[in-house]
Amino acid sequence: MSVSSFAGPFVPELVLLAGTLLIFLLDVLKVRRIELTGGIAVAATLAALGVVVADLGFAPLAFLATVPASQIDVAPAAGAAPLFAFTSFGLVFQAIFLLATFFVALASVSRPSDERGAPIFYGLLLLATIGMLLVAIASDLIFLLLAIEVVSIASYLLVAYTRKDVRGLEAAMKFFVIGALSTVLSFFGASLLFGAYGTTNLYLIRAAGTAVGYPVLVLLGYGFLIAGLAFKVTLVPFHAWAVDVYDGAPDDVSAFLAGGTKKIGVFAFFLVFLGPVLAVGAVGSSGYGLFGGSVALGASFQITLGALAVVTMTVGNVLALLQKEMKRMLAYSSISQAGYMLIGIAIGTAPALGGATLQVFAHVLMKTGAFLVVGAAAAIGVGPLIDDWRGLGLKRPLLGVSFALMLLSLAGVPLTIGFVSKFVLFSAAVDAQGWFIWLAVAGLLNSALSVFYYARVLKVMFFDAAPAPAGAPAGSVVGGAGPPALPLGGIGYGRAASLAIIAALIVAFGIYPQAVLGAIQSAAYHFVTVGA
Amino acid sequence: MLPLISIVLATLLLGTVGTFLAGSRARWVALGTSAVFLAEVALLLASYPGWPGYSSSLVPGFSDTETYSWISVAWLHVDYAVGVDGISLIFILLTAILQVATVVYSWGETHRPAGYFGLVLLTCLGCFGVFVALDVLLFFLFWEAVLVPMFFLIGYWGGPNRRYAALKFFIYTHVASIVMLVGLLALVFYSGATSLDFSAVYAAAGNLAPVVQTFLFLALFFGFAVKFPVVPFHTWLPDAHVEAPTGGSVLLAGLLLKLGGYGLIRWAVEVLPHGFHSAQPLLFLIAFITIVWGSVLSLAQRDLKRLVAYSSINHMGIVLLAIALDSSLGLLAAVLLMFAHGIVSGLLFMASGSVHHQYGTRDISSLGGITPSAPALSTMIMAGSLASLGLPALISFPAEFTAFLATWNGLGYWVLIPLVVLVVTAGFYLWMMQRMLFGEKKGVPLDVHDVPWYEGAGMGLLVALTVLFGILPSLLVNVIVNSPIRGWPGT
Repeated sequence: MSVSSFAGPFVPELVLLAGTLLIFLLDVLKVRRIELTGGIAVAATLAALGVVVADLGFAPLAFLATVPASQIDVAPAAGAAPLFAFTSFGLVFQAIFLLATFFVALASVSRPSDERGAPIFYGLLLLATIGMLLVAIASDLIFLLLAIEVVSIASYLLVAYTRKDVRGLEAAMKFFVIGALSTVLSFFGASLLFGAYGTTNLYLIRAAGTAVGYPVLVLLGYGFLIAGLAFKVTLVPFHAWAVDVYDGAPDDVSAFLAGGTKKIGVFAFFLVFLGPVLAVGAVGSSGYGLFGGSVALGASFQITLGALAVVTMTVGNVLALLQKEMKRMLAYSSISQAGYMLIGIAIGTAPALGGATLQVFAHVLMKTGAFLVVGAAAAIGVGPLIDDWRGLGLKRPLLGVSFALMLLSLAGVPLTIGFVSKFVLFSAAVDAQGWFIWLAVAGLLNSALSVFYYARVLKVMFFDAAPAPAGAPAGSVVGGAGPPALPLGGIGYGRAASLAIIAALIVAFGIYPQAVLGAIQSAAYHFVTVGA
Repeated sequence: MLPLISIVLATLLLGTVGTFLAGSRARWVALGTSAVFLAEVALLLASYPGWPGYSSSLVPGFSDTETYSWISVAWLHVDYAVGVDGISLIFILLTAILQVATVVYSWGETHRPAGYFGLVLLTCLGCFGVFVALDVLLFFLFWEAVLVPMFFLIGYWGGPNRRYAALKFFIYTHVASIVMLVGLLALVFYSGATSLDFSAVYAAAGNLAPVVQTFLFLALFFGFAVKFPVVPFHTWLPDAHVEAPTGGSVLLAGLLLKLGGYGLIRWAVEVLPHGFHSAQPLLFLIAFITIVWGSVLSLAQRDLKRLVAYSSINHMGIVLLAIALDSSLGLLAAVLLMFAHGIVSGLLFMASGSVHHQYGTRDISSLGGITPSAPALSTMIMAGSLASLGLPALISFPAEFTAFLATWNGLGYWVLIPLVVLVVTAGFYLWMMQRMLFGEKKGVPLDVHDVPWYEGAGMGLLVALTVLFGILPSLLVNVIVNSPIRGWPGT
């Protein structure tokens, strides 16, 4: 008897839910040791990850599988309108989401153990992850938007959970207002689409393509959806909130937002826009006006998305170049990376989709890791400015080396996962021919541009002399007022383990990308041909 | 069969990591690694047709090949593909020799020795990778990997103006690399190759129209020309050389410049013959300018190291000329010249480094009569200078003779240009020796010693090889001509 016969295919979500409830229960019972709550969160995430990977067909874990292989990547019966569906593409994203949560949860164990709010943090973290997993199986617009809402509400609270830091509160407020706006826009778009299609089911919408009687409704509906989702993915010009929020949120939460929750927006883009984009391939992409008699709106979506991609990566990169604070620089670089991911959806072929997914995967490793390094650096008393990092690379080899690997990967240096993902994505763009080649060119130029600000950090860390020590670092305050120093010179075992794992994975997948590339490519192929 | 090339790469990688971690014992780890590396290269050589004792009846081609899939997607395959032929073997031999010599010469390095020796090994690892890579991306990866350690070698261990020199070196060569990469990728995509393998690209490039080939060739040539370097892309070289530590200079002149020539032969001339033919006049023009201008500039130098650096440019001009001739003899001469230049310029850079250590200056006019107090150093300088000016029985002679013969066959009386330049340069070298080594004692401190044993040993090794290959150039020639190059016996 397999697990699925009594728990259904929602085992990962249920495991996380059990973890959440257990953490909140312990909080009520005043058991608040961070090692315990953190341990529960890490264990729950790992268990869920195991199940998802098993579902994806990873043979050594086959006994954990909950979704029969015969139910994955199956198109629904004609006319059926399921709320959710299991696609290998969605499972890949579930695994990516869980990985992000795992890194954050593991690293956060290293926060001061008497810090208030640790149970809340971990509970909300798992709750948000549940929402993310639901996003990845959605096949209905309303289900999708509700799942995104679960994530959003949990993450508003995450930004503010310390309730002390004014900057955090301000960031949370901003995040909430913008998030609410984004939700409103998305739902309005969805309602317009319902008006046009008579359904919110993505299978049915995709089957109808763009050939419907109310092109204006379709255009407006997708337009509002683009705007609503663009806030989540931090596309320019919907990006301004992201920098302040990433900057103001606690470091581990920034890591989760930039590395984790942002990706639900990317997945939603894949889910929602693949239909119209694919419709172009069916009818041919030229010769159709926006409001002409036979409207192929898909081509205009492709152009819109492509333009958004180029603008986003360029603006993000240029602004990142100008930043003096480490977190803001990373935030802008995160915005520019979103542009790369959008290339994949603008092209809409299976290879490009696979490349974009690989980029998402790489970004989880690089950006989550980078923000965790910033958190670790803050924990040992390094200031927020890039110049405050002078000499850190040699003084703190673990932080220095892992951060260097993440930055090199972000810059797309060979033998890192960041290189492979960019290579696959850009070469897929070239392979798609047509004007998509210019997307690859724009991406390449932007990658070259981004090298400058990543290299600057490396220079500061490894070449510039360390500043004279101005008093004891925050992690080792003497006099009893501060928290006790963590092991490993204030970094802590959890953070160190998390960073070491991320750094190892960046290199391992850079050398042997085939370990994930095959699964992602085939998932993308099925997604384009069968899934929603 | 043993995957020898991967074993060598693993050796160098482990050796590099070990050296970085070894602290004050770094030089021993580096020396051990170099010795193993040399032994493995000897094994590679011994199993290649043309090497003494090896049956030459075998059909030559790339040997010791290995291919593993690296990034494989439906529309493109990137492999870890490596292999050697006669040409790359010669460069690999040069890499091993120079690595050993550099490590021995630098035995007394006290400033962060672990980092220094680690970076030396890393540079050699990158060069070795370039010479064995048979995949576009792998080639590019190693190509770029050479840049980074050299950047740090100059930037950390260099002279007073090292930061400027390191940055200039990095920017020049990196921009060139990018252009080269664009050229290589355009070559792949335009030719419709679905694999980045050398053989696949080689085969697919035949489909390209001549015009496209010309443009691609020019892009690749630009990338390689900056590494060469040829006029007008040469200005990074003197700065980098003057500021680099001696070991860095040796590797820079001995190996990094050879990457340009090797890349040009392997990835441009061979793959894009039509593009090569249409670009030939341009290549001749650049080669002659480089020969003359490099020589003129070297005449104007007072600094011994700068003199050697500019004469390197002159030599690389002759290499470019030999390649541009598009004849079997020319190509052979180019490879021989590069090998010879690697050994000789390494020797001369070591010698000028030693002069600097001993006398605190490299200014030719402020030194004089150093032979009585430092006979060993003086001998090394002399050997290097004589080899550089092409004395028979030393390694440069067969190389330069072949080059001039090939030029005569191909271009007739144009050969007078490099010949006259050679005579002038020779005269200058002789004058330098006369002033610095002999004559009145000048600028020599009273308590001066001869070179330390390790510097002497490093240079001695190169002197011995200069003589050995000068007398027996056939050792190299027989290996080179077995390469799978168009028009050679190997094809």
